[in-house]
Amino acid sequence: MSMDREIFTYHGAKLLFFIVSVLTGLEGIFIIVQAVMLAGVISGLFSGQSVFSLENQTVLFFLAVVLRYFCKLAIKSLTFRFADRTGSEMRNHFLATVFTRGLPMIKEEGTATLVSLAIEGVPKARKYLELYLPKMAANGILPIMILCFVATKDMLSAVILLVTIPVLILFMILLGLAAQKKMDERWASYRVLSNHFLDSLRGLPTLRYLGLSRAHETSIRRVSDKYRQMTMRTLSLAFLSSFALDFFTMLSIAFVAVALGLRLINGQILLDPALVVLILAPEYFLPVRELGQDYHATLDGKEAAHKLTRYAGDAGTRFTAGIEPPDDGNDSWSAASSLSFQTVSATYARSDGEKVLDSLSFTLNGFEKIGIIGASGAGKSTLINLISGFISPLSGQIRIDGKPATLTASAWQKQITYIPQHPYLFSGSIGDNVAFYAPEATAPEIRRAVQAAGLGTFVSGLPMGLDERIGSGGRALSGGQEQRVALARAFLCRRPILLLDEPTAHLDIETEYALKESMIPLFDGKLVILATHRLHWMDQMDRILVIEHGRLQESGTQEELLKRQGAYTKLVRTQLEGLQ
Amino acid sequence: MRNWVFPYFKKFWRRLLLSAILGFLALFCAAGLLFTSGYLISKAALRPENILLIYVPIVGVRAFGIFRAFFRYTSDLASHDTVLRILSGMRTRLYSILEPAALFIRSKFRTGDLLGILSDDIEHLQDLYLSTALPAASAVLIYGMWISLLGWMDGLFALIMGLYLSILLVVFPLLSLVFTNKFRRQFSVQRHHLYEKLTDAVLGAGDWMLSGRQKDFLDQFMVEEKSISRIENRLHRIRRWREFVSELLIGGSVIALLLWSQHMAASGHMSRTLIAAFVLVTFTIAESLIAVSEAVERLPQYHESFSRLRRTETMPEKETDVPAEKGRVPLPEAPVTIDVANLCFKYGETERWAIDHLSLDVRQGERIALIGRSGAGKTTLTHLIYGALKPTRGTVTLNGVPAWQIGRHVSSIISVLNQSPHLFDTSVRNNIALGNEQASREEIVQAAKWVGLHERILQLPHGYDTQMHEAGAIFSGGQQQRLALARIMLRNTPVVILDEPTVGLDPITEKNLLQTFFTVLRGKTLIWITHHLAGAGQMDRIIFLEDGAICMSGSHRQLLKENRRYRELYRLDVPDHLAKRIQGHE
Repeated sequence: MSMDREIFTYHGAKLLFFIVSVLTGLEGIFIIVQAVMLAGVISGLFSGQSVFSLENQTVLFFLAVVLRYFCKLAIKSLTFRFADRTGSEMRNHFLATVFTRGLPMIKEEGTATLVSLAIEGVPKARKYLELYLPKMAANGILPIMILCFVATKDMLSAVILLVTIPVLILFMILLGLAAQKKMDERWASYRVLSNHFLDSLRGLPTLRYLGLSRAHETSIRRVSDKYRQMTMRTLSLAFLSSFALDFFTMLSIAFVAVALGLRLINGQILLDPALVVLILAPEYFLPVRELGQDYHATLDGKEAAHKLTRYAGDAGTRFTAGIEPPDDGNDSWSAASSLSFQTVSATYARSDGEKVLDSLSFTLNGFEKIGIIGASGAGKSTLINLISGFISPLSGQIRIDGKPATLTASAWQKQITYIPQHPYLFSGSIGDNVAFYAPEATAPEIRRAVQAAGLGTFVSGLPMGLDERIGSGGRALSGGQEQRVALARAFLCRRPILLLDEPTAHLDIETEYALKESMIPLFDGKLVILATHRLHWMDQMDRILVIEHGRLQESGTQEELLKRQGAYTKLVRTQLEGLQ
Repeated sequence: MRNWVFPYFKKFWRRLLLSAILGFLALFCAAGLLFTSGYLISKAALRPENILLIYVPIVGVRAFGIFRAFFRYTSDLASHDTVLRILSGMRTRLYSILEPAALFIRSKFRTGDLLGILSDDIEHLQDLYLSTALPAASAVLIYGMWISLLGWMDGLFALIMGLYLSILLVVFPLLSLVFTNKFRRQFSVQRHHLYEKLTDAVLGAGDWMLSGRQKDFLDQFMVEEKSISRIENRLHRIRRWREFVSELLIGGSVIALLLWSQHMAASGHMSRTLIAAFVLVTFTIAESLIAVSEAVERLPQYHESFSRLRRTETMPEKETDVPAEKGRVPLPEAPVTIDVANLCFKYGETERWAIDHLSLDVRQGERIALIGRSGAGKTTLTHLIYGALKPTRGTVTLNGVPAWQIGRHVSSIISVLNQSPHLFDTSVRNNIALGNEQASREEIVQAAKWVGLHERILQLPHGYDTQMHEAGAIFSGGQQQRLALARIMLRNTPVVILDEPTVGLDPITEKNLLQTFFTVLRGKTLIWITHHLAGAGQMDRIIFLEDGAICMSGSHRQLLKENRRYRELYRLDVPDHLAKRIQGHE
């Protein structure tokens, strides 16, 4: 419910609500004028006058119709513009957050969720923003205006109309609750039934291998039927609230009409006011009926709006320290530089705040080659994310050349090349992909980088060469080729720090072998930090950090660690024992 | 349209008609309520001596008031029931289209979640009936009734009114369909583009951040978003003005009716008491016609869903279909000898050879590791052995019977465990029992014990009856593979194909899982597609594939001794000096 008040915090919402309220008030006046004029014409005709003698009233009636719907048009235009603007702001804000501080957020929520929130959530939120204010105004103003006016014409009708609303709401709530309860009771089996089809499609290959796929077709029909029966039972309850809405509004109008009729016979009321009341009775219920119409759309939109603002709002505090330091540390990394961690702890995007890295202290110097090794889940990737500035530490100190430093600063990030397990290829040409970090690179430079990464023959064999499109919608590359594109990126931009996160484990052994050959020359003259559980990489490393359960267990050269017979030896043993 | 809509219209026309008629009756009652109310108070205004004279309209008013809600309720239920029946039909249809391509779905639909999208598409088509077809049908019925009523009283006026109201019923919907269609197409194309662009960027968010170029992207994105926003604005403006003009038209029709009824009353063709009735009812009827524009405007929305569904029907890769009669071949029984002789295969006329003159004999109980780069033909070879594909040249036989002729019975001879076996949304027990639906409780527990999962399952909240959607998150990747292995243990087939079941697992989990595989599958023929050489020592033969042909083969010991390349590769998985060091200390 907090969102309902939240809507007023958006820029211009209060003013808009004021204008909409004024327009709705005008609309109410025109509705009443329209009814009075129409009733006048009808009762005039009834008493034998001709339309032409009632010309003024007829014209006024039509004018009231025009003005009434013009007010509505104005309200719609204004709220649409407001919603459009606010929606765009929400999206921009949200995306800016995703692309500056959101890497853990992406990991946690998944790409698809964030993308669909940005693209589908925004229109939903906009719908909510567009509908909510005018509906609130209409429901707050119109029924009261109409009721007051009806009361001046006929008290009894006003009472009937007034009493209907609480009865109506009471029944809708009761029925809604009953339906909800039924739904909750059946939720578990309902979920299974409704997911069954997608589950079957996804499991189709497995069913085929088990020899069950053909027979499963009948099961799909059977479950679909069961799903239908169950849904219908739920719907027969759920639709009862709109039944109640219909039933009570219609019955109320019927009561008003009959009560008017009976009193007309006795001469307690005249035809003209009776007609006014009868015409206004449906108008009285219209806002409430429209409220129910887009109920679900409004609810969805509210949810989406809330999510968008929440993400944009708290990503800064939740995922990072959130302070962008001045770009003073412009000195680039050199052979004499050092990076030291002092009791640094970090958590990886978990709201429970469980520490993934716990009091890490170490120093990296110059162009060392550092291997980070440990079982999966030990915190290797988190360490890499910390060094690359995708996340901020919870506590502890990080110093570069002895001076306190923040790794999320872009000055630091601009010195890093990062090669993950699955480097992402953007939809575009190979050349653009290679030059992603160095868009100003010339074609010969790109070609040299492609050669160095071992992609030369592959690229020259392509029909479009460097202009061949890759990434989604383009030519599919194998895992090894994807890694080579990332390598070419690294060769091209010549940044002094190279981070690699499990670059070869998923590849077949022949590809891994060949790739490693091309990768080693890249390590020259760089600080290399490579996290992996592939032991063969350790031969190329100057120093190894062994991480276990988020703590730094040992560090040293491979020889030292083997001699020590500690965590590293144990790791090697569990991996290799019984395999030869 | 032809395959996804008309058959269902044909099959369910009675139910659809019923729903439309009930919808019409709901509208009719709403109109009837106002008509009789107007009549009632006009009649009462004449102050008849006998109250019984207005008794009928009083009953009418109440009845219409009550029945309106009743009909709307039943029409909603009837339409939803019909649509769910249609949904069930469409689901079965989609399934039966995809089923023959089951084994190729993964390679075909790798990008994105196309299956999810297809399933959504079908759900989406519900709206075609619920929001478009049925409301439009009800509106046509009420229009027909109204014009006939007028025609019964005055043919000429009915004609004029019929034409006038057809502006709302036909002209506006068609106009807005024509006008908005172009924008909607543009809109969906651009939106799709935006979707792809953003997905692309979010997937590569790390690269954008490190390159320091986020702002470039965001600026570019805003520009495209603005252009979509402009289209939406235009669509919205069209809708707003259409609604405005429609309301004015309704106002016009009321005035026309006033003129007409005055004329009718003056000429004595109609009682004065009906003037209010006719005027009041016009509002309700005309309002229900406005809804048609909105219903029709939705039509382009279904277009995309339809075209995606249609595309599934022309999927090129399907299993070799064995005609039922010709499929009567003797089924091979254990021991099974697999004989691949001079095998050649390509997926299409113009494609390159996926398998190129390959020969291989596998005796019962033999263990073979199949290694090669992606695209070397490993999976194609197993599809050929499995009989899902028919050799272009050469033969694959199981005990002398061509594999492709065995057809679907092959699942009782060969089991396959692939990279991501699907765990179904049912209990853990049922998931294991999929291997053999006749398996007893004891056999299921036994299978779980063999694969080392029994203890873990007992720890789940409801043991073997825990639902998979709860347990799925609890089971790690390695445990999910073990569960799938338990299924295969229950199948007890003489041949098992392991298609990279350990990809993506960390080396320790991988090692433990492999050890389980090799232990429990003892005695069965094992064809193991792998990308690492860890565990190769336990295989009888190691075969390297390249471009669809065998380029290196032999036992581990033999290759290690004679082949330098093999030694180097093996060293990546099991570094020599490390292996020696840990052995030395044992």
